[in-house]
Amino acid sequence: MRRLLLSICFLITWVTSVCAGDQPLANPRTMTFPELAFQIPKAERVVLECGMPVYLLRDTELPIINMTAMIRVGSVYEPATKSGLSSMVGSVMRSGGAGGMTPEEMDDELEFMASAVESGVGGDMGTVSLTALKKNFSRTLRMFSDVLLRPDFSEKRIEITRKQIIEALRRQNDDPKEIAGREINRAIYAGHPLGEIATFRSIGSVTRQDMVEFHRRYYRLDNMILAVSGDFDRTALLKELNSTFTPEKHPNVLALPEVPQPKQQFQAEVLYGKKDVNQTVIRMGHLGLSKDSPDIYAIRLLDYILGGSFTSRLTLEIRTNQGLAYSVGSHFDIGRRFTGSFIAETETKAESTVKAINLMKKIIAELTKEPVSDSELSAAREYMINSFMFGFTSPASIVTQRARLEYYGYPDGYLEQYRDNIAKVTKADILNAARKYLHPDAFKLVVIGDSAKFDQPLTTLGKVRELDLKLDIPKP
Amino acid sequence: MKHILFIVTLVAALATQLQAATLEEKVVERTMKNGMKLLLVERHTSPTVSAWIRFRVGSVDERSDERGIAHLLEHMLFKGTTTLGTKDYASEKPLLDKIEVVAVALTAEKAKHEKGDQVKIAGLEKQLAALEADAGKFVIKDEFFELYSKNGGTGYNAFTSRDGTTYLISLPANKLELWAAIESDRLQNAVLREFYTERSVVMEERRRSYDADPESKLWETFVASSFLAHPYGQPTIGWMSDIENLTRSKAEKFFHNYYAPNNAIVAIVGDIDTRKTIAMVERYFGAIKPGKELPPVTAEEPKQGGERRIELVAEAEPTVMISFHKPAVNTPDDYVFDVINMILGSGRTSRFYKKLVIEKQITSDIGAFDAPGNRYPNLFVISANPRAPHTVKEVEDAIQTELDLLKTTPVSERDLQRILNKIEYEEARRMGTNGGLARNLTEYEATTGSWRYMSEHRGKIASVTPADIMRVAATYFTRENRTVGFITKKGGDK
Repeated sequence: MRRLLLSICFLITWVTSVCAGDQPLANPRTMTFPELAFQIPKAERVVLECGMPVYLLRDTELPIINMTAMIRVGSVYEPATKSGLSSMVGSVMRSGGAGGMTPEEMDDELEFMASAVESGVGGDMGTVSLTALKKNFSRTLRMFSDVLLRPDFSEKRIEITRKQIIEALRRQNDDPKEIAGREINRAIYAGHPLGEIATFRSIGSVTRQDMVEFHRRYYRLDNMILAVSGDFDRTALLKELNSTFTPEKHPNVLALPEVPQPKQQFQAEVLYGKKDVNQTVIRMGHLGLSKDSPDIYAIRLLDYILGGSFTSRLTLEIRTNQGLAYSVGSHFDIGRRFTGSFIAETETKAESTVKAINLMKKIIAELTKEPVSDSELSAAREYMINSFMFGFTSPASIVTQRARLEYYGYPDGYLEQYRDNIAKVTKADILNAARKYLHPDAFKLVVIGDSAKFDQPLTTLGKVRELDLKLDIPKP
Repeated sequence: MKHILFIVTLVAALATQLQAATLEEKVVERTMKNGMKLLLVERHTSPTVSAWIRFRVGSVDERSDERGIAHLLEHMLFKGTTTLGTKDYASEKPLLDKIEVVAVALTAEKAKHEKGDQVKIAGLEKQLAALEADAGKFVIKDEFFELYSKNGGTGYNAFTSRDGTTYLISLPANKLELWAAIESDRLQNAVLREFYTERSVVMEERRRSYDADPESKLWETFVASSFLAHPYGQPTIGWMSDIENLTRSKAEKFFHNYYAPNNAIVAIVGDIDTRKTIAMVERYFGAIKPGKELPPVTAEEPKQGGERRIELVAEAEPTVMISFHKPAVNTPDDYVFDVINMILGSGRTSRFYKKLVIEKQITSDIGAFDAPGNRYPNLFVISANPRAPHTVKEVEDAIQTELDLLKTTPVSERDLQRILNKIEYEEARRMGTNGGLARNLTEYEATTGSWRYMSEHRGKIASVTPADIMRVAATYFTRENRTVGFITKKGGDK
């Protein structure tokens, strides 16, 4: 039957192609297209008996189920002396055994089913994820819930994770791009938990007890949201989730620590790190804005025009016109819980280092002086509006997006009104946003390379502070 | 034991057939009269579509004076055509011709190095800059990108490998005709304007991706040292002096020789009507004349006669890479290597992870993969970072111990079944994105001869026996066939 269907299909295509020659070929500049109806896909929100919100989207294309828990936790909650604690917790929750299963048993059982359960903690969110063939979902869900709620934190596995992080710290200055990325973030968020990094000392000081307590404090059912997508039966799934996540009794009410916003300080600084390489890594930037600002739509368009596309001003001038770099761009990372950042970046041969830096600063500064052109605005606007649907191409991305909006407290209708809000932005809005959020004279500038080969001394850009790239490695 | 194994194999083979029918059912294949291959899959999950074009020409097909041209040409094919990317091609063309004369002369003079005439070089550089500025007045910058972008296109990109060159885009489903119009124009009428600026961009790409990153630099040196005769050894991006000596004339020649419909594989996956889509592609591409057949690479790598050791001294912690020569993709032993790869290097139950990371704790991470291409005999590579204070030598020895174990001890049935289960999952998963499926269809069609490689793979893997694994391990994991590359920290640990 299948075979028959296929051959009919071929027959039809053959007939069409024979008589296809007479339609004219369209000109890409002027061609028009049929209308496309696009509805923003919705996910269903259900509250489990334990009180946990769950977003659901059923899709039977593949015999697979995906699930993600988002937990209100993050590195911002760890004390500076224990930097790295949260990422150790995230990692050993999965690798250190759970619910009485040894690490080896869990690895073996999961991988034999080709299922995956993974856990991690970022700056302001923890996640535990599951992916499994439909037929293996129930067994995988049991291990998912053990990892999430009942990790055993095996001493042996804690030590292995600690050693691996220490090895990564030993390697943190091997790649100049990694150094620059870390140092610009530290400079922008100096004095805030988001600017802290793990050190040999902080990793060495984390105890199993710290990890157990950190986990106990944050990984509770009243502090997380779940997102599930794929080939499930709704009734059976909800029944299974309700029996897996039964209501918890906690001696204390959930209390998340207050973390202050980063201090708005705009003060220029030049940081230089010496590496024996023929190309210089350049990063510059400062604090930006958060999602609660009314300017986010103007900033999205500004971002595209300045450094967020292949025809952005930075790419056009520094790469396409001058051939000074392969990769150049800038980005406002719009903060969700905390003020975000603006960072511009490139890499150029040592001999054009200062030229490229000055050019970037000049291009950025121009945005604060003159409005963007009509064609720049319309190109950015059309891209944002017409490509919007690519945020919704898989059930998993749709459902996690909905959960993320609730997690970060986005207003209702954010997605539904997004394109209208983009369409409303004017050239004046972009100019105002540029003046408010771009301060090229107050950039933190990070330069990693070999200053002996630079076209001009870095001191022409300001007072230079040299980074110490020697590591204070404790003897094992 | 034999009986049980037989049953397991049979079940797996049956399951493969069921799964295969699904993929076979979804893919519509058609070869146009001019030789262009079309692979289409309807997926109506979202109103989007991905379109990938793969040319069966990569850096392995370059001659020694063309090294880097396949990749630089890929960059150049974003620069427009006789009608796009230009305000007035008739006025622009004479300037482009003059630029080429001056640039070829300048390149030749610079190639003399210290014997070059510095006055002449300075004069030619000035002339070139003036001509480029004049020609630049006619350029509409990156018009392909602008057209795609304002129509909501995302992920507009291309990549070049040893084996091939691929151009990709995702579009709202109603805009697919824009792709056909632009890409058919590009295939017939590409103009390689702004060539010499782009050549500088590629030099920056080289510095960024290889020169300034110790691990990548070791990788490049390691692969080059693994091949004496076969062009798989040469870096796709080219050595710096290769790039410096590439000219637009060379790129145009390469383009006209190899970019033809009979060397192209197109995959369109997404919210399409298959019948209408084929008709549309026929309309835009059907009249393009076929070109020459791509000749196969005739160089054969001589059998390696002893271990090669490659050291890179760098401002970085030690890394070690070990490789063994092996046959090309889709050969009987290659399937055995797929099994070996998964047993040794895939996941937390793999032998390398269990032994070196968890038990001995001498590496922080370790992996195994095939490289640098698939069309011709290639390498089985193992890469690891020793965990201080453990040395490259300790890691090397521990890896070799695991390889030797494969020669003498049969792999368990459970290990083999776990691999088949993993492949079953991957078969389902890879159909879940338009771009991912288009990537796999073009890649396997090009390197193995048919996209059906994907649906037949699990059956082939299921027929690999523990004895096959022992034989292949004993044949290939020998000292004579081994190359070891490693980073030594500059100045040691201070």
